[in-house]
Amino acid sequence: MTEAVTRAADLELRGITKRFGRVTALSGVDLTAYAGQVLAILGDNGAGKTTLIKIISGVYQQDDGEIRVAGHRVAFRSPADSRQAGVATVFQDLALVEVLDVATNMFLGQFPRRGWFVDRKAMDTQSRAFLDELKVTVASVKTDIGMLSGGQRQIVAIARAMRTGAGIVLLDEPTAALGVRETAHATNLIRELRDRGATVICVSHDMNFVFDVADRVQVMRLGRVAGVRDVTTTTKNEVIGLITGSVSDSPAEELP
Amino acid sequence: MSQATAGHPAAGRTGGGPGRSARLGDRAHWSRYTQQAGLIACVLVLAAVFAARNSTFLSSGNLIELLRSATLYFIVACASTLVLVGGGLDFSIGSVYALGAVVAGLLMTHSTPWPLAVLGGLAVGGVIGLANAAISVYLAVPPLIATLGTFFVAGGLAVVITSGNDVYGFPSAFISIGAGELGGIPYLIFYAVIIGVIFHIALERTVFGYNTRATGGNRGAAAANGIRVARLDIALYVTSGAVAALAGILGAARLSTASSSAGGASLTFQVVTAVIIGGTSLFGGTGTIAGSALGAILFAEINNGLQVINVNPLYQNIFIGVILVAAVAIDQYRRKRRYRT
Repeated sequence: MTEAVTRAADLELRGITKRFGRVTALSGVDLTAYAGQVLAILGDNGAGKTTLIKIISGVYQQDDGEIRVAGHRVAFRSPADSRQAGVATVFQDLALVEVLDVATNMFLGQFPRRGWFVDRKAMDTQSRAFLDELKVTVASVKTDIGMLSGGQRQIVAIARAMRTGAGIVLLDEPTAALGVRETAHATNLIRELRDRGATVICVSHDMNFVFDVADRVQVMRLGRVAGVRDVTTTTKNEVIGLITGSVSDSPAEELP
Repeated sequence: MSQATAGHPAAGRTGGGPGRSARLGDRAHWSRYTQQAGLIACVLVLAAVFAARNSTFLSSGNLIELLRSATLYFIVACASTLVLVGGGLDFSIGSVYALGAVVAGLLMTHSTPWPLAVLGGLAVGGVIGLANAAISVYLAVPPLIATLGTFFVAGGLAVVITSGNDVYGFPSAFISIGAGELGGIPYLIFYAVIIGVIFHIALERTVFGYNTRATGGNRGAAAANGIRVARLDIALYVTSGAVAALAGILGAARLSTASSSAGGASLTFQVVTAVIIGGTSLFGGTGTIAGSALGAILFAEINNGLQVINVNPLYQNIFIGVILVAAVAIDQYRRKRRYRT
């Protein structure tokens, strides 16, 4: 009842371009994420990380380029389309409703129904069972989100993404607001997610966290892809170089 | 995963350390009712004061009259509660109350069968609601302005189509739905109870109610999680318009007269005030039908009680103003204590 059904869904972006007025936030960005792996997206402020996440989650629509899920071309006109295609997003602002309880937030937009009614009992027991399974400490699933700490909220948001059984999970800065213990818990959750076969894409500033949990890193710089590396074959220095621009993958452009 | 023991539910409820969060959970259940408790206390204390000055206040005849006078406000307030919980606001209700009544009245006096005339009045209310939703959702005009605009338009329409004259001469079957009684209790009180129960269940138990609370609590989060917030807004405003028209039609049936000057700004303000006194947040997400019922009863009680004890009822507004500000101030204080920012 509570085990997430994971589909082997690779995500592929080809030539994604996004403009806001005259500003080109992304130009010709490619991205490939594999099932059962964590892809970390790194980059300085304004590199286009969040824009990229918002395109994959259907919040923004690209001006050019295509998205493929498990090889099929998809068009995300809204967040609902993206969810439909099996993408779950943990936004930086978490998208939780403070005045509603944990269980309701876990099932937001997908309430278990009995006709017109919400099956409250099923929602509570499934939330409880799912959080227990993930070893998440929340005293009661009827606690309002507004009463939880930032770390607890983050973990509820990640747990919600896992609950939906989505094949592709996007996390925007999952550890930005977390303490050491909570970061460790979030890391465990992300590993769990990967081990279940999900395609995990994770935007982060936290280099230690990235090298701890990611399989591959994609570095963004000024709206373009600066480079993609396997964590086993790269170093923090090389990645930092890609972020700042002192290391470059495309020498052809720099030697005219 | 080192938190296995601490994370066990039994440990969370009975253990020493995690006990803090367990208590937080308990408070979540209780705090939903504390504001209502304050309101009930307020209603009872006032009843005691009025009864001490004049014992007829507690006579069954007076109590029935008190409840009857609260019914039409309460019926409108049910829909307004949903709109406010959903993060909206509907100021047009006062004019829609009048417009629905005069449209139904005119249809009836122009030889339309009364059930069809009633449906016609409800439909006009629904259309104004649709306009409210369309203006606020698609033109991105804040609901306060959108519904203030339609408040004037609907009020103006009601005056124009009646030339400002009262409409009367309704069939007796229609009049009896508003003026009839069963066992000494006006039908209106039964309608209010039935409508209240329906709205309570809709808000607390249905997918629609959950989506409404989620959208009002955090619109962005609701949309990001796949709730169709625009469609929800349409449902809420159409309901609000139709229910306001229904109340106006029932009021016209009770008085055997539909007037373009019924309802108006005073109805709008009294309904919104009663809803907010009842604990519904102006910022969306929280609110209960029971609270709105208490708010409407408090309104009616003050109005009725002041008359019974021979105090100029014009003092009512002073009481209401003080209670409104106090209720919201207490609510804000509770919120600040309850939620971490």
